Amino acid sequence: MKSQDKRDYLKRYKEQKKNGIPFWPNALFKDAIVALIVLIALIVLSYFVGAELDERANPSDDGFSPKPEWYFLFLFQLLKYFPGSLEFVGVLVLPSLAIAALFLLPWLDRSEKRHITKRPYVLVFSVFMIVGVVWLSLQSVLEEPAPTQLATGDPVASLYVENCAGCHSEMISVPEGTDLIAIISQGGHAGMPAWNADLSADEIDALAGFVLSPRGNQVFGSSCADCHDASGLAASDPFTLRDALDDGGDFEAHADLELELPSGQEATALVNFLIAPDGHRLFALNCSSCHGSAVPFDGTAEELREVIRTGGGHQDMPAMGGILDETQVSALASYSVDPATAPSEAAGLFGQYCSICHGDLVPQAADLAAATEVIVTGGAHEDMPVWGEILTEEQLDALAAYAFESIEGSPAEEGRSLYAANCSFCHGDFGEGGVNPANPAITLSPISTAGYLGTRDDTTLRAIINQGQPDFGMSPFGLTYGGPLGEDEVGSIVAFLRSWQADPPVELPPEVEQAPRLGDADEVFTEFCSQCHGVEGEGGIGPSFQANEFHDSRTDEELFTSIDLGHAATAMIAWGQVLTNDQIVDLVAFIRDLRGEPDETPPVVGEVSFSGDVAPVLEALCLACHNDGGAIGGWSASSYESVIGSGDSGPAIDMADLAGSTLIDRLLGTSGALMPPQGMPQSDVDKLIAWIEAGALDN
Amino acid sequence: MSIDDRTDEVLDETLDAEWMDQRTGWRGVWNGIFLRMIPKVNWSFTLGSATLFVVVNQFITGILLTIYYVPSPQDAYDTVLYITNELPAGWLIRGMHHWGATAMVALAILHMLRVIYYGAYKFPREVTWISGVMLLLITFGFGFTGYLLPWDQKAYWATTVGTKILEVTPVVGESLLRIARGGDQLSAVTLSRFFGIHVWVLPAVLLSILGIHLYLVIRIGISAPAKREE
Repeated sequence: MKSQDKRDYLKRYKEQKKNGIPFWPNALFKDAIVALIVLIALIVLSYFVGAELDERANPSDDGFSPKPEWYFLFLFQLLKYFPGSLEFVGVLVLPSLAIAALFLLPWLDRSEKRHITKRPYVLVFSVFMIVGVVWLSLQSVLEEPAPTQLATGDPVASLYVENCAGCHSEMISVPEGTDLIAIISQGGHAGMPAWNADLSADEIDALAGFVLSPRGNQVFGSSCADCHDASGLAASDPFTLRDALDDGGDFEAHADLELELPSGQEATALVNFLIAPDGHRLFALNCSSCHGSAVPFDGTAEELREVIRTGGGHQDMPAMGGILDETQVSALASYSVDPATAPSEAAGLFGQYCSICHGDLVPQAADLAAATEVIVTGGAHEDMPVWGEILTEEQLDALAAYAFESIEGSPAEEGRSLYAANCSFCHGDFGEGGVNPANPAITLSPISTAGYLGTRDDTTLRAIINQGQPDFGMSPFGLTYGGPLGEDEVGSIVAFLRSWQADPPVELPPEVEQAPRLGDADEVFTEFCSQCHGVEGEGGIGPSFQANEFHDSRTDEELFTSIDLGHAATAMIAWGQVLTNDQIVDLVAFIRDLRGEPDETPPVVGEVSFSGDVAPVLEALCLACHNDGGAIGGWSASSYESVIGSGDSGPAIDMADLAGSTLIDRLLGTSGALMPPQGMPQSDVDKLIAWIEAGALDN
Repeated sequence: MSIDDRTDEVLDETLDAEWMDQRTGWRGVWNGIFLRMIPKVNWSFTLGSATLFVVVNQFITGILLTIYYVPSPQDAYDTVLYITNELPAGWLIRGMHHWGATAMVALAILHMLRVIYYGAYKFPREVTWISGVMLLLITFGFGFTGYLLPWDQKAYWATTVGTKILEVTPVVGESLLRIARGGDQLSAVTLSRFFGIHVWVLPAVLLSILGIHLYLVIRIGISAPAKREE
């Protein structure tokens, strides 16, 4: 705007003010009328509509379909149009541009014209924005009632309606090559929760099939749904499915029916719907019975796909007769008949010679003679089916991609061995937990339940592994925290833990749905606490309330807080949602009463010996982490020599300055981390220190 | 102009004024704000003052709500229930705060559209416009933080999704998410920081910028509807 225009404007405005009205009372009167109307509107709305209040927030019920305030609906809707990697455009770029345009409006429109007809760009753009925002908001409101007509009588569609339609409306378009099952079960993108805690593996598979092949769902509805329940078929095997489709009326189970079965593209769509093209699941259904968890293959991905498609003599087994001697052959043969009764060296032989092809799956032989025959002669002892005839193209793609990746050893496979080496000692082979071998007073709760894994995201699991849980006796495992594992390794373990989630090896008793009106603390204890802590408080999944150590290490306030808020790291839920504060106070008193007789530990008298006094303590409390296999911090508690002499920060016991030994520092927490992280009874600490100060003799 | 610099006439004038005006100079302020002349305008020019009225409503009802509301996951829902069902006129206070929020957003947007329509963001009102856009963003901030406070299902999950959106920001997304939530998941920390932002931070920012906005409106004068040839 030129300065002459500015001058003109100011002059004109002065004129307009002169011919105008005084603010008081004229303009203010109009303002007052509008304010009154607004006030009345607010009161009327409060009286007749009121302010909505839903159920109390429940973090474990993620089936709730989130709905933002009306003025954010357009943004919420916009998000749906930017899937996957484009998401940040819809979420970040567009809103930022809009806000920047608003701020800069006076400089974007620099003409001296003010009447709306003289500013066509501003007019068009504003109308466009208004129409856009209103349209998006309306869209969001209209889509919200899920497509109920889909749901009637169609179990898979109702799964979709209940769980997905709230955000995704009628249908999702998925880019090719998307691992849909992984996204559904673990939650793929902003705002999408992991569903694996709420849905079974079959349900997730059914949903993936529904999304990937909506046509298949329609075919199923018209051709199969009268007799079959979709999820039942989905779990069955692809061979029978293919037979049924190919044989038509000749298929045994269909013989008495006059059926018109789908063919061609319809049949393909149907198979894709029933068994979603998901590599992992297809491998489990079709391949793992012969190949275990992975197949060895040294060609390209395309070659592998071809091998799978054509099937047949894909890779002959070498004749082992020339490589192994007779005892080895017979050991292996008996191993494949019954691993339990086979000679002890058989497992090693299998690992050395067979597992490269057979994975960790031992082929089952009917009798010794047949097994010996196959091992000695080798050859194509069992043909691979021609998968090209059984699977659809989409399924083949997915399967080949998965199998190829698993050759490399997927993170989960790597995680399995890392877990076995680092975690299973305390957490059990299946994450079932149990008594902490390093401290019998602590009982580790299962970490492989759907509940545990479903309520912790990857960041949390990584943090737990990296930093440990000093309060529960878990030392840090991340390199940055002084542990043995790098970031990638921790990630692999998390991936392995996640593999439990779809099919948890451990199930907890179902949680209490609603709080009955319970009175006394003993009733509450019997009803809730005893499930995990034992009827007499003797412990189980949760720690024992009879142990003195439990009571000595906690104040009443800490007990109250634990009950009220639960423990993030264990199966202990926040009972504050269920119990009143008074009930918890009574419960704390009740738990205190469960305590057994106080310890009468005799004070340390006389000479403390290494073999008699020190070694048993070290073995019970230190050896789990500080052993010759994986000496964390470079210190091993396995022998007198290593106790005295090992340690990354110099020998644990300084013979020249016994009282200044690193071991004492760690036991007392005076320098470095307090050890052991799970705590050590004071009498044992006294014992160890007395032994060191007496010269740390090997007596 | 300090008192010492005044000319004798001005000093006489001051001494002629009534007791209170001598000491506060309120009449000058009153004249400047209420007796100023403004151009002839239509009803759409009441939208700004209507928004201001709702802001006052939000402050009054909001302060009353904080007397009973407790921002912790255990108590939030119960205190909101108590306010709604048991506190005398509690339903009215909460209802007016709830609907006031909607009205504030709606009126602020309409007010902005009016300003766009009449080209009122142009010289000499550019700074007024910028402060106005800031006020609109603050209003959205109020809406987002206030939505969580009742700690009911829709509040919890809408905020879960709303904060999760931050995660898509390249590079710093994860940190932003953790800052917004005060951890990996929504927790007592999230609730207390949303509460703090809603009742302390945003009102303070709102008042400062609103002060600038109103000062500029009074100083420059409200725009007049543009004529066809302008």
